[in-house]
This record gives sequence, structure tokens and C-alpha cells, in this order.
Amino acid sequence: MSTDDLTDDLTRNTANAPPELLTRSFFFLCAVLSIFVTIGIIGLLVTEAAKFFSITAPLMGVEGPTASVVDFLTGTEWIINNEQFGVLALVTSTLMVTFGSALIALPLGVGTAIYLSEYADPQLRAVLKPALEILAGIPTVVYGFFALIYITPALRVVFPSIGTFNLLSASIVVGIMIIPMVASISEDAMSAVPDDLRQAGYGMGATKFEVSTGIVVPAALSGILSSFILALSRAIGETMAVTVAAGAQAKFHNPFNPAAYLDGGSPMTATMVNLLTGDVTGGGLAYRSLFAIGLTLFVITFAMNVISELIAQRYREEY
Amino acid sequence: MATQDRSSYAEGFGQVSRTVGTVFRYLLLASTLFGIAVLAILLVYVANDAVQPLTADPGWHLTFFLTLVLPTLATAGYLAATNLEALKFGSMTIGLIVVSLLFSGGVAIIFIEVLAPLVWFAYVLAFAVPTVLMIALQRRSRQLSFLTRFVVVALAFYTSLFGLPGVVPSVAALVQSAPFVPLDWVLLTLTLGLFASAPTASYAAGIRDRRTGLGVGVLALAAVAASPFIGPPVFGIGTVPSVILASVTVVPTVAFVGGTAVTREHARIGILVPLLIVGGALAGEVLVDTLGYAGPQSWVDWQFLTSDHSGTAEDAGLYPAIAGSILLMVTVAALSFPVGVGAALYLEEYAPDNRITRFIDVNISNLAGVPSVVYGLLGLGLFVTQLGRPSGTIFVGGATLALLILPIVIISSREAIRSVPDEMRQASYGMGATKWQTVKNVILPRAFPGILTGTILALGRAIGETAPLIMIGAPNVLFSFPSELSSKVSAMPLQVYSWASYFATDAFYEKAVPAGVVILVTVLLAMNSIAIVLRNRYEQET
Amino acid sequence: MSQENMSNDNVESATEDPTDDDMILETDVAAGLEEGSETVRTARERSIVEANGINVWYNDEQALQDITMSVPENQVTAMIGPSGCGKSTFLRCINRMNDMIDAARVEGELYLGEKNVYDPDVDPVALRRRVGMVFQKPNPFPKSIYDNVAYGLKIQDIGGNHDEIVEESLKRAALWDEVKDQLDESGLDLSGGQQQRLCIARAIAPDPEVILMDEPASALDPVATSKIEDLIDELAEDYTVIIVTHNMQQAARISDKTAVFLTGGELVEFDDTKTIFENPEHERVEDYITGKFG
Repeated sequence: MSTDDLTDDLTRNTANAPPELLTRSFFFLCAVLSIFVTIGIIGLLVTEAAKFFSITAPLMGVEGPTASVVDFLTGTEWIINNEQFGVLALVTSTLMVTFGSALIALPLGVGTAIYLSEYADPQLRAVLKPALEILAGIPTVVYGFFALIYITPALRVVFPSIGTFNLLSASIVVGIMIIPMVASISEDAMSAVPDDLRQAGYGMGATKFEVSTGIVVPAALSGILSSFILALSRAIGETMAVTVAAGAQAKFHNPFNPAAYLDGGSPMTATMVNLLTGDVTGGGLAYRSLFAIGLTLFVITFAMNVISELIAQRYREEY
Repeated sequence: MATQDRSSYAEGFGQVSRTVGTVFRYLLLASTLFGIAVLAILLVYVANDAVQPLTADPGWHLTFFLTLVLPTLATAGYLAATNLEALKFGSMTIGLIVVSLLFSGGVAIIFIEVLAPLVWFAYVLAFAVPTVLMIALQRRSRQLSFLTRFVVVALAFYTSLFGLPGVVPSVAALVQSAPFVPLDWVLLTLTLGLFASAPTASYAAGIRDRRTGLGVGVLALAAVAASPFIGPPVFGIGTVPSVILASVTVVPTVAFVGGTAVTREHARIGILVPLLIVGGALAGEVLVDTLGYAGPQSWVDWQFLTSDHSGTAEDAGLYPAIAGSILLMVTVAALSFPVGVGAALYLEEYAPDNRITRFIDVNISNLAGVPSVVYGLLGLGLFVTQLGRPSGTIFVGGATLALLILPIVIISSREAIRSVPDEMRQASYGMGATKWQTVKNVILPRAFPGILTGTILALGRAIGETAPLIMIGAPNVLFSFPSELSSKVSAMPLQVYSWASYFATDAFYEKAVPAGVVILVTVLLAMNSIAIVLRNRYEQET
Repeated sequence: MSQENMSNDNVESATEDPTDDDMILETDVAAGLEEGSETVRTARERSIVEANGINVWYNDEQALQDITMSVPENQVTAMIGPSGCGKSTFLRCINRMNDMIDAARVEGELYLGEKNVYDPDVDPVALRRRVGMVFQKPNPFPKSIYDNVAYGLKIQDIGGNHDEIVEESLKRAALWDEVKDQLDESGLDLSGGQQQRLCIARAIAPDPEVILMDEPASALDPVATSKIEDLIDELAEDYTVIIVTHNMQQAARISDKTAVFLTGGELVEFDDTKTIFENPEHERVEDYITGKFG
């Protein structure tokens, strides 16, 4: 080939050839869609919730009944028919389920992670990991049904006063549901601990127990913490299991009173489901309260995800 | 003294206590098994409620124990001890049969209730004609510019599918208005039969040579074509289900078994396991019938699978919900797969490392953590209130669920794309390939199994979801059949929920709900195991 | 391409390949000596790649310092030096593979033929279509042998009979006889040495101006290595080959010209291979060649 041809060839623009442009723009649109989803969620929740509160409703040009922000955030009664919207009645139930499930999932999840990353041989891992994944793959409505039909009657043997709908059974199933999340993220963090550290421990004559608890767990601590927060955020947002198991009666509980677990409650998510399957008329105050709860829920879970991400970033930088 | 020192050292070696460590080890094992064990117990309970094995005659149990359980267990035990590979092959075959039977059921529901075979055939043809044109044009790519080809192909697709009003009727319409219409099973044989035998042929060609492949393909097609003459008299099923069963279950299973038997002689003996299970079940059935033993009064039966909802637990069925779940799954897959893979490709292969990219990145992992009810609110507010779509339809439900699983699909696809070795990219770019050529020829084929695994898991999540469907206003009970995108949606988990909450009587708790749970869990376990098997194979390869 | 007269010499030197390791340096360089003077003169007239003040930074670290050299057409040019000296970086400047690394920054001019490839109007993708590359680790695609070789033709939309080009390329890569009956099988089923020859066949199929080789034999066993070396010698009949190697004997065996890079990304000496190995100008090069360091 002559050099002129070569020069022509080199300057031929391939990056903007039609197939390239077309595919690149399509892929870019797909990626950007996620931003629009976020904007959509936030925009929708904020505008609808704004119509709910009396401070912002006039700005949105909404007339008719509204609710006060202060009452919403500090009220302890949630009675739709009386137009009493005290979100604390829901938040306390959510917190109790979250706390109760944490009591189950966090220790068991970390134990599972240590076992999988430090003790189990590869063959056993190959069986245990998919089995754990199945725990997370069972639909949540099934867990709710299990809690209602099998776990509550079993608990009644121990606690005769337990209600048909109760927070205890809801906590148990939510706890089981989030074990795999704690386990898999914590295990990732533990596997990321460099082998040198373990070797150093064994070289000092430490036992496997001492290496696991004294070296691996502390080294993976930020990863474990981030898994905790993520799992708790998942528990807060968990819907169907608590809807079926915990009931629909919004009640303010003292979260520090263990006896309250035997009683029913209506966590935020369950309230939203019940609002829609019950007496919501489109566009009314009850309909808007849905978005007010949704916003509260979104803000809480979003904050927790961000915190967990920040912590996880720290551990990624460590190694 | 030196000797004393030495002996005290020697004693010292045994002094580090292992007690705490041993206790700790078993505690860890217990915590690992706790969740699995609890779930297993609960599943046994619910299966017991749904199937009621104890209502059967003891003779029934004994018969099946002797014909089915004992021989299978004995063979499996023997194989486990002597030839693990054969056992694996046998269990894979059984798994394939179960999964493909489930799949045939789904396909059969679609063709019987939703999609008339003629319409399906018309659209397959309407797609095939412009596709052939596209390939022909691709061959001549040097004479024609990309833009010309693109316009011609796009126009051909549009005309073929929708027609130009008043000028040219679409191929789809043309076929449907044809004066002579072949029987349904002929149409299905021509489409499904071809779809099943073509990959079988290429699989066989990969093992032996092209001629064998062609022979196997023709044989498979012949088997599918013969099925409507065998199915109705022998098994008492219609011609359409026969063709579906032949092309979705029989051909792939036989291909898998045959292929493995030819390539892995050592594992051949494993075929005993499925043979014993199928043969034992048939023999047991015949024996039980002749001896007059009554089987269990299972709530999971044909009636439950094929009836509509009813106010009485005994008559309630899951049929509309099963169909709704299938339609939802198709919609969700069609919406989330291309967008999810596209976004993953952009982020892994195209995106420059800048602030927008990092923002999208963080944004996606945050979206993955947003509770499903909030997605339900998004569906309600966006599709129903803002866009004015009718509430509770399959389209709105599918779109909402697609948004819900989009971040999961993106994240798992990104992992699969990232696991493509960098040498492959280097080789392709080094040859002067453009981005898209590299993606199309090197990255996508290599990452595809991983992407598929992630998508199946995400789809499993989608069809297990209830809350978003409630939020978008899906009806609690559905008597009529969902047959198109704009019909009201029902889904298996939603039906189970409404039985457990609106018909909260003991009869429903004891009968319909456990039966529904068993079906739902079976479908999800099947999907999960497909994904896990796929992933294991894929990880072995790489 | 009309290089018949030169190619004969190259073939001869290849066939004379000594087996005794100790002898290699002397004999091979001696073989190159006969043709040396003539070759160099031709080369000065036609150089295909000319670097003019190339500097490369990775973030703030300088990887190449002011490299100026011109690579003669239809010869084998070797680049040697201790690891981390920037020889691979320079190779990747020629087909702009460094563009793919975000942290890398290249300054200077590099001419392929008469065009500076760092001119803003040059498309790196188009450039790579005219410059073949063979990597350190054999990296065939997980496709059939045929599709591997035809990859470049396919992506460049080169029409005509691919079968012929595939056969020709495989023959040139000395692989045809081994694989002609299994063209449909995966390229990954071949042995390491065969895979590398497949990669060479893939690189030459679209008929590039220059073939870049980045330590092509370092992952192979001695038998496979010697096959690759023979092949490189034959390729120089029609192609310009630029090869990076850490193996000095290999450079002495197969190259016509040798460039020595030393730590810090400096091109210390570039001359006929014979001169470099027998009578280097710089003491540092002599120290490196004789194994005093590096």
C-alpha cells in the first residue's frame, strides 16, 4: 500500500460510525435511566408528601384537609378516620421489628460468615452458600404466612398471652430472611483480609479460634458493620412478612418494653399496604399520607445505605 | 538442666487448650445451619398441610416405598459411593425433567389461554422475513452504507409487523387472514419444533460432525411432528400440549441424556436414576390402582392448578394467578434485560472515569436498597396517577417490577462483564476493533452465562414480590383470565396474600394457602437452582 | 512488497540457527554481519516507524524519556532492557494501546509512514487495523480457530474469500498443517505455543504494515519458543516486526537492529544488533549485555 492510502486509512473516523453512535447512545440512555428513576422516586414522594402537610400544601395549590408536620412527627396515634396521623405509632413498630430481627440476624450472620470464610472446606461451602441464598429467595409473603400459621402457635406454648398478630413472630422471620445478607457481605469482607495477617497469627502460635476472633474479625470490622446497616435497612423496608404477621392495628409501643413484642402493631410498610387495600380514595388525605410515610421510609433507608456505602468504602481502601 | 528443659517443652506442646476453639467451631456451624434448618422445618410443615401424605392408605405408602423410594435410594447410594459423576448426571437429568415440565406447563398456559397459535405463528413469520432480509443485507454491507441498511431493515420490520395502513398489509395480518389455516399443532410444530431442534442439531454437530447434527435435528423435528399422534391416545392430552411437551421437555432432555452418554462414558450409568424414578412412579401408580389403595387427599392437585379463585377453600384454584405470574415475568424480562445489560455495558466498557459515572454508580447501589413498597408507590404515582394508565394492569405491574429489579440486573451484569479477562479486550482492541465490535464479538458472548444467571435470580425476586403489585392497585381476587398487557394482573404471591388476609378462615389457612405456598416455592426453587447450576458450570469454565 | 533479495538472507540465517547455547551469540551475530551493512543503508532510506521525542507519563511518573528512533521497514527490530524500563510502553505507543489506560499521557510525535499517529485527526482504532499486535500471554478468543483468524477481516468488513486468507495466514504462521482438520474447534483447545502462533496468524491476516510483539515467547516452553523465533524470521520477509524481549540471546538470534532501554525509560543505544552485542558505544549497555546488572 502506498503511504497516501495509509494516511487516509489512519484518519478514517470509526468512533462516530453509525453503529457505534447508535449503540453507545443506547447504552448511555440505559445508564442514565437509573438517575431518572431516582429523580422520579424523590420527586414523586416529595410533591405528594408536600400536599399532605399543612405548611407546604398551599404552595402546591392544594385545598382541603391537611396535616401538621409537627403532629406527624410527634403524634403517637394513627387513626385514619379521625385524621390523626402520628407516624411514631408506626415507627416504633418498625423499630421493634428491626431490633428484634437484628438480635437474630446479626450474630447468626456473622457466625455464618466466619464459618464460611475460615472453617468450612470448599465442598461444604459449595453446598452451604446456595442453601443460604435460598433463604433470601423465598418470597416474603411466604415468610409472613409461616409466621402467622406456624411460628405464632409455637410461641403461644411459651407465651400464652401472645396475640394472633404479634411483633415477635414478625421479627423472627425477618431475622431469618436477612441472615444471608449479613453473611454474604461479611464473608466478602473477611475474604478480603490478606492471608499474611492470618499467617502472622499462626506463626505466633495462635489457634484458629484466636486468629478468627482476634485477627480476621477486627480486620474486617468495617465490612461487617456495613453489612449490619444494609441488613437493618432491608429489615426496615421489609413489607409483606410484617404485613401478614404483625397485623394492621397501628399502636404506639414503648420500644424498650419487651412485653410489647407479644402484641400486634403496624410498621410503616404494613400501614402502606393496608391503606391501599383498605379505604383509600384516590387523591384524599389518606392517599397522600401514603406518600408521607413513603418519604419517611425512603429517607431512613437511603441514609442507612449511604452510611453503609461510606463504611464499606473505607474497608476497600484499607486493603 | 538441658534434658529437663526439653521435657518441659515437650509437655508444653500439648497444653494449648482446644476446648474453646472446638465449642466456637460448633457454635459457628450451628449458626450457619440455624436459618436453613428453620426454613426446612417450615417447608416440611407447609408441604404436609398442602399434600397431606398421612391421609393416604398405609398400603399406598408401602407400594410407592417399594417401587420408587427403595430402588432409587439404593441406586443413588451405590452411585454416591462408587461413581459420583454418574450420580450427578442422573440428578441433573431429573432436575432437567422437572424444570422443563414446569416450563412446558407455562408455555402450554400461554398458548391455550393467551396467545392463539395462529397469532404466534403470524408474528414469528413477521419477524423471520425482515430478519432474513437483514442477514442478506449484512452480506452486502460493502455496497450499501450503514444508514441505508438501517433504514431498509427498520422499514422492513415495521411493515412486516404492523403494515403500512392502506398501502401494504403487514405479514402478521396477511398470515392471519389467509383463507386456509393449518391446524394449531402444525403451526406449533413449525415454530416450537424448529426452535427446539435447531439447537439440538448444533449441539449434536458440536459433538460429532455436521451430518450427524443434521440427522439429529431432522429426527428431533420428526419426533415433535409425531407427538400429536402419540399424545392424545396414549396420555390423554390434547394435540397442542403434546407438541409443547415434545419440544420443550422431551427433545431437550433426550438431547442432554444422549449427548452426555456419548461424551462421558463413565457417567453413562447415571441414567439409571431418572429411569428408576420415572419407572418406579409409573409401576407404583399401576399397582396402587389395581390394589385399590387410596392416595393422599392433596390440596395441590390438577383441580387446584386449573381452577379460578373461589370463595370456598376446597374449590379455590391458582390458575389465573399462575398465568398472571407468567405474563408478568415475560413483561419484566423484556423490559429489564436489555436496559439492565445496556447500562452495565455502558458503565463497564464505555463510561469515562468522571463524576457523572461515579454518581450513576453510587445511585444504582442506592436504588438496590430502596424498599419494594417505595417502588410500588413510584408505579402508582408515575404510571397510574401521572401517565393515566389504568391501575393494576399487567403492563403497569410489569413495568414497576422491572424498575425494582433493574439495579440488581445492572449490578450482576456488571460483575459478569468485569469477569471477562482483560486479555480478550486487549486482543480485540489490538486488532483494531471498535468498542461495539469488541462488545458484540468478545465481551457479550463471554459474559452471557453470568448475565443470564443474575437475570434469572432477579426475575425470581420479581415474581415473588407482592407489595408493589398491591401498591399499583392489582385486584385482590381475579376471576377472569389475564390475557393481554392491559388486563388486570394477578400473581401467585398476591393470590396467596389475599387468601391469607381477606379469606382468613381456617379452611383457607389449612387448604388453599399451603397449596399456593407450595406451588410458589417450587417455582422459585426451580428458578434458583437453574441459576445456581448455570453459575457453577460457568465458573468451572472460566 | 518487493523484498525478495533481503528475505533470502534472512531465511539462511534462520536455517543456520545453532543449537549450542553458548555459540548462539557469536554465530548468529556473525551471520547477521554479512548482510548488515547493506541492510542498514536500505533501512535509512525507508523507515516505517519514526519516533520523535516521545515522552510518556503514568500519572506523575515518567515512563519514557524523549525517545527518538526510526524503525526500518521489513526488518526485525528488538527492544531489550531490564523490566520496568519502558520498552513495552514504547511498543504500545506505536499502536496507541496506551490510550486505553486513563493514567497514561503521551507527548511527542510518532510517524507511521508519513502520518503522525498522535495527530488529532488520527483514529486509534483505524491505526490498530494497520498495526498488528501479539501479546505476552497467548490470548486467542474463545471462538473457533477459523473465526479467530478471520476476526480482523470481519471487523474491517473486508469482503472476498475469507477461506483463502485464513489458510494463507495459518500457513505463514506455520500452524496450517497442525490445525487444517480442526478449523471449527475452539482456539482455546490448542497448546500454548499453538495458541501463540494462532495469535500471530490472527495479527497478519488483515495484512498490517507493522507487527508489534510484546515478549511473545516468554510464556512458552523452549520448543515452542524456537518455533516462534523461526516464524519471526520468516515474517520479516514481508513485514516489519518490532519485538520486545527480556531475553538478550533471543534478541541477538532474531533481530536485525536492537534498541536498549535502561531504567528510567531512557533509550540508551539503538544500532545494528551486531554492534550492540559486540561493540556497544555505552558502558552501561555493555554492563547490561554482559550481565553486570539488570
